[in-house]
Amino acid sequence: MSALTDLAAAFALLLTPMMLFHAAWSTLLGIIIGSLPGLTATMGVALMTTLTYSLDSTSAILVLLCMYVGAIYGGSRSAILLNIPGTPASAATALDGYPLAKAGRAGYAMGLATVGSMIGTLVGILLLVLIAPPLAEAALNFGSFEFFWLAVFGIVISGQLTADTTPLKGYIAGILGLMVAMVGSEGIHAHVRFSFGSSDLAGGIGLIPAMVGAFGFAEILNAMWGRAGILATAKDKSDRILPTLSDVWRYKVTSIRSGIIGTLVGIIPGVGEDIGAWASYVAARRTSKEADRYGKGSHEGLTAAETGNSAVVPGSLIPAITLAVPGSASSAVLIAALFIHGIRPGPLIMIEQPQFVSQVGAMLILATLFMGLYGLSLTRAFVQVLRVPYANLMPIVFVLCVIGTYALSQRIFDIWVMVAFGLVGFVLRQMKYPMAPLVLGIILGDLLDKSLRRGLTLSDGDLVPFFTRPVSLVFVVIIALSILANFASVRRWVTGILARAEKRDA
Amino acid sequence: MTMSLADRLTAIVLGALGLSMAVGGYTMDRLEIRQIHPASIPGLVPMILGALLALCAGLLWREAARAREEDAQTFHDGSWLRLAVTAGLCLVYALVLVGWLPFFWSTAIFTAAFSAIFSWQAEASTFVRARSLAVSAILGGAVALGTSALFAEVFLVRLP
Repeated sequence: MSALTDLAAAFALLLTPMMLFHAAWSTLLGIIIGSLPGLTATMGVALMTTLTYSLDSTSAILVLLCMYVGAIYGGSRSAILLNIPGTPASAATALDGYPLAKAGRAGYAMGLATVGSMIGTLVGILLLVLIAPPLAEAALNFGSFEFFWLAVFGIVISGQLTADTTPLKGYIAGILGLMVAMVGSEGIHAHVRFSFGSSDLAGGIGLIPAMVGAFGFAEILNAMWGRAGILATAKDKSDRILPTLSDVWRYKVTSIRSGIIGTLVGIIPGVGEDIGAWASYVAARRTSKEADRYGKGSHEGLTAAETGNSAVVPGSLIPAITLAVPGSASSAVLIAALFIHGIRPGPLIMIEQPQFVSQVGAMLILATLFMGLYGLSLTRAFVQVLRVPYANLMPIVFVLCVIGTYALSQRIFDIWVMVAFGLVGFVLRQMKYPMAPLVLGIILGDLLDKSLRRGLTLSDGDLVPFFTRPVSLVFVVIIALSILANFASVRRWVTGILARAEKRDA
Repeated sequence: MTMSLADRLTAIVLGALGLSMAVGGYTMDRLEIRQIHPASIPGLVPMILGALLALCAGLLWREAARAREEDAQTFHDGSWLRLAVTAGLCLVYALVLVGWLPFFWSTAIFTAAFSAIFSWQAEASTFVRARSLAVSAILGGAVALGTSALFAEVFLVRLP
């Protein structure tokens, strides 16, 4: 109960005119960014990090969280109206949202998506304030051995679950991210690696320029390469926007289940909102009495997808805050932003800033309230936003990518890094390499490097403690199973064993 | 280009990168002079990562070699011209104009040029084309003024 009391107290503290103003504009901007195909939540949060570094830490984190929540929700607008997901998280939303829009019920679909997103975020917030403190406490017992496996676990699972074609490409993306993190001064002996005599490289490759490139510039190239830039929206003839209470009540089990699934998906390192939406959608369809309506404008399917992707937002913050391991690409940027604002995410957060988790929960509630307000009141206005041509939108985004990365440390080198990551990111994307493991690799590279070498120093070069400590062993088993599951021969062998066991039981 | 060909080419690049990283890690200073623990040498993790990347590159090559020729295509569902113009404009702006011209002018030129090129309608009347150019010029000026003011006056950034 104390967690909920803290949450209420933190929420009351946020109710100042300045905080409400920040929450109002940043959520609106987030929805606009999310609704525009080609601009993703991660790009929005990365660009906003560069725009908020002069704000005080509470305001800056509020702005970033509101941007994140708004952008994930905003993706549903274009998914419903255009059948083009504004962000990858809304791909499942388009399946049932667009058929509803084609039937002239775009407004009602957006209303339903809004309520679903609100429920998802609220379920996630509840789990965030309940799970994060004990998880941080448990993580206090982690040593170098456990942190090493945690970093490996993040890369392997993220690579496995986000890869489009083969997990191998996910692993490669993760290793490339780790390699990027090896550039510059290392954390134990301060030895400079792979700088090739450049003082800029000696300082390492910054996460923000890399992410703005991979998610900003690469998105611009992707958008200009792929589409003509003229968007035609579905006509809305809805009689109402606010969903009926009976609709909301009828899908209460679906909403809560999707909220829980989304949050749990969010907790898994590097696995983002799109997986949360698909997992919730598939689970809802499997248990639904109206499964045949899925994909044809099912209210339940739309609710499940939107609840699932929105619940990932608070879920992804659980490992980000307590372990400094991001649950999604956007939360990876948030971790970098927290460091910029003097907050050190990790197991010590509950000792150094015990109120931080409830503060984040309260900020998310505020973002959810504004999201609901805009979602239900500005439905038709957002249709106009979608008509902005790419020819006018993309140069503005690129200018922000350039000046945003430069502003952080005022180095021209950061602009070069952003451009390089944009070009490489575009090529990798075209070849179906996921970006989330790459980002996770850059974030976790330092942790993995230091933990392995510290662990080996503690054990005098002995590898045994890496495999015998209980938490390490659990990580090792999960990692091994995840990798082995990719081999067809192993899958056949396991299926054979299970079939023989079933026969014996029968 | 088929995905399997693209994967084979990537496997060669990644293999070379992995081996270079492994060799770089192996030949890296082991800081014996500072008497550090041999298990904490700075090149340890780069060596492991390089070897892992080379291994993954080998597996990628094998997977690509097994794939059928009629498999998925890559770099096929877009416009090379639009991509080249976008990349060209962005690179000229980020790598040449910024730092060479004052930020206001580089941004105004880039934004106006980008908008004018991509909203150009060759078949439209002279009036429509003139209006489109005017909109691009106004957009360029507004974006340059807005970003310069925001970063220089509000965030106190010394613009490039």
